[in-house]
Amino acid sequence: MKQRALWSAVLVAGLALTGCGRASDSNSSPGGSDGKLVVWDWKSGDTSAASYIKKAKADFASKHPGVTVEFVAQPFEQYYTLLGAAIQAGKGPDVMLFNGGGQIRDRVDALLPLDEYVGQDKQRLAGWEAFTKDSKTYAAPVTLQGHPIYYNKSLYRKAGLDPERPATSWNEFVAHCQAITAATGAKCFAQGNKEGIGIQFFMSGLGSGILSPQEYDDWIAGKRNWTSPDVKRIFSLWKEVNDKGLNNDGANSTAMFNDAFAVFQSGKASHVIGLMSDIGHWKDFAEFLDAGNVGVMKSPVVTAGTTPSLPYDGGIGYAVARRTKDPRVAADLVRSLTSTDALKAFHADAGAIAADATIDVSGAGPAVATIVSEIKGGQPALHVALSSKTVELMGRLSQQLLSGSVTVDKAVEQLAASDQAG
Amino acid sequence: MRPVGGRGQPENRPRRVRGGWRAERLAPYVLVAPAVLIIVVLRLWPLVLGVNFSFTGDGERNGTTVGLDNYVDLLDDPLFRTALRNVALLVLLLPVAVAIPGLLATFIYLRVPGHRLFRSVYFFPAVLSPVIVGAIFNLLLAFDGPLNAILGGLGIGPFDWLGNPHVAIFAVAGVHIWATFGMALVVFLAGFATLDAALLDAARVDGASLAQTIWHVIIPGLSRTIQFVFVTTLIGMLTSMFGLLYVMTSGGPEGSTYLPEYYIWVQQGQMNRPALASAASTALFMIMLVVGLLQISVLRRAARED
Repeated sequence: MKQRALWSAVLVAGLALTGCGRASDSNSSPGGSDGKLVVWDWKSGDTSAASYIKKAKADFASKHPGVTVEFVAQPFEQYYTLLGAAIQAGKGPDVMLFNGGGQIRDRVDALLPLDEYVGQDKQRLAGWEAFTKDSKTYAAPVTLQGHPIYYNKSLYRKAGLDPERPATSWNEFVAHCQAITAATGAKCFAQGNKEGIGIQFFMSGLGSGILSPQEYDDWIAGKRNWTSPDVKRIFSLWKEVNDKGLNNDGANSTAMFNDAFAVFQSGKASHVIGLMSDIGHWKDFAEFLDAGNVGVMKSPVVTAGTTPSLPYDGGIGYAVARRTKDPRVAADLVRSLTSTDALKAFHADAGAIAADATIDVSGAGPAVATIVSEIKGGQPALHVALSSKTVELMGRLSQQLLSGSVTVDKAVEQLAASDQAG
Repeated sequence: MRPVGGRGQPENRPRRVRGGWRAERLAPYVLVAPAVLIIVVLRLWPLVLGVNFSFTGDGERNGTTVGLDNYVDLLDDPLFRTALRNVALLVLLLPVAVAIPGLLATFIYLRVPGHRLFRSVYFFPAVLSPVIVGAIFNLLLAFDGPLNAILGGLGIGPFDWLGNPHVAIFAVAGVHIWATFGMALVVFLAGFATLDAALLDAARVDGASLAQTIWHVIIPGLSRTIQFVFVTTLIGMLTSMFGLLYVMTSGGPEGSTYLPEYYIWVQQGQMNRPALASAASTALFMIMLVVGLLQISVLRRAARED
C-alpha cells in the first residue's frame, strides 16, 4: 500500500513537470459529413415545440433537400455539462442551442461567427446583443428573454389603488406596497434567492431606474464603474428591500424556480420580477390570476434622471460549431430555425416572446401587448453582460447581503475584482 | 503462487521441462491479465489523463502547460476552501452518523416493543433516491414549512433551515444521515447476530444497567462491525451527497454547503473550467486515497486482533 502511495506521488510529480493535456482537439473529424447535421438543444423534445421544429425543418428541407437534420434533445439541467464535454472531446453537434449571455460568450472559441450568413435577419430579429462577443455574432435569437416587473392588479384594486397606473417613482412604489400589505397582507415582492438568481432579476428589473443612461450604456459596453454610487445603490437597495420586509420571508431559502413564482401566483405578494419567455411569465401567471389581472410595469425611478426601460436580451439562440463541415449549410439551418413561420409557431405553442418583432401577439393578453410594445425602447439586461463567474459570485454575495454577513461596500469590491479579472 | 513444477524433473527431458515450467509460470499472469487490463485502461489511465489535464489551462490557455496554477487557484478560491472545511465537518459528524444506527440496532436487538416494525421502518429511507429525499425535506424544511409551523406552535423559531449558512450544512448532513442510516443498521444487526448471547445473559445476571451493558458488552463485542460502519459511512458521506446538495441547497446559501464533488461539477459544467475541475478531482482523489489507506490499516489491524 505504501508503495502504491509512493507511485501516485511520483506520478503526480512527473506529470506536474510535463503537464501537456488539451481541452479540445482541433484536428478531430469535422461534423456535417454525409449531408447530415446534428442539432443539440433542450427544446425539441417538448410537445410545445413540435410544430416549431416541424416548420423549421420544412423550411430547411426546401433549401437543402439532400441534407438530413437530426435533433438531439438533452435535459436542460445537464445541457452545458454535456455540451462542454462533447466540445472538449471534439465530438460536439454542428448546430446547438444556447442561452444568451455568459454561457455562449464562454464558448465562442468553439463557435463560428455568423455575421456573414445572417445579415438579412438583423433587422427582422431582436436580441442579437446577447449572442455577440467582441462585435462578432455567434448565434441567431429564437426568443427574447427579459425581466418585466409583473404585478397583481386585483391586489391593487383591493388596496384601493388604480391598477392601470402603477408607481413611477420608488417612494410611490413603496407606499403602494405598504398600502397593499395593510389591506391584504400580501408582501411587496415575491423573492427567491436560493439559487442566487433573485439578485440577477432584481438588478436587471430595476437597473434602468437606478443607473443613469450613460452608466447603463457603459455597463453593457463592458466599462463598468463599480465605484459609482448608482452601482452601489443596486446592492444597497437589494438589502434595503429585504430589511424593510418588502420580500417574502426566507428569500434565501426560497427557490426562484418555482417557489417565488408560486408566492406571486397565489396572491401572497403583489409584485414579482419575472421572465418574458418559457417559465415564470405572463402565460404561467395568467393561469392562476387570470390574464386580465396580470399587469406589467416599468421599473420605478429610483435615482432621479433615469429613464426606465424594459430589460431584455436574446433568450435562446442557435449557434454553429466552428468545426462543422459546411458552415453555409449549418448557418442556413439556423436561419430556418429563426424564420418567421417557425417562430410564430413557437410563440403560440410554447408561450414565448419570439425574437421576430413582426409576429402578431394580440391574442395573448394585455401583459404580452405591454411587453411587446416596450421591446423597441428596451435595453440589454444588466446581469447578462456579466461573466458566468461574476454572476455566480454575485449570487453568493447577494445571499450574504440578505443575511448581513457582508457589507454593500465589501460585496461591490469583490464583484469589481471578479469583473475586472475576466 | 510460485511455480515449482519442473524443478525436480529428470535431466534427460530438458526441453519439455523448460516449456512446461514457462507455461506454468505465465499462467497466473494470463489469468489476471483481463482484470488488470480493465483496471489499467478504464481506471488508472483515465486517472493519469485527468491528473495530467489538471496541469493545463482553461479557456484561452487551453492546452498549454500552466504548472500548478490550477492548484493555486483552488487554494485561493474560498468556495473550494469551504468545500474542504465541510469535508472536515462531515468527518467530525461521523460518530453521530455511526452512533444513531448503532443505538437503534441495539434497541432492536434488545427487543423493545415493536422492534419488528421498527426494523423495516428504519430501513425504508435507504431505498429512496436522494432526489426524492431532498424534495421531501425541501418542503418540510421550507421557511413556511411544517417543521417551522410545529416549532412556531411551541413558541420556538422560525429557523431558516436551508437559508442560514451556519445551519444549512447541518440540515443537509442530518438529512443524509436520516436517508442512509438504514444500511448501517442492517450491518449492525448482522454484527449482533455474531454476538455471544451468553455474555449478555451474564451481564443481566450480574445486574448491569442498559448503559453498562452497551458500554462493557455490546461495544467491545461489535468493535469490528463498528469499524466497518465507520469506514463505509465516511465514504458514503464524501462521495454520495451530491444528489442531496443539488436538490436541497445547490451549494448555497452563500456557498456554505459546497463539497468537493459539487465544486467539481460546477467548475466543469457551469463555469467552463474543466482543467480546474480536474485539479479539484485530483485533490479529492488524494483525500480519498488517504481515507482509503487509513481504512485499510484499520481493517487490517482489526483482522489481526482476531
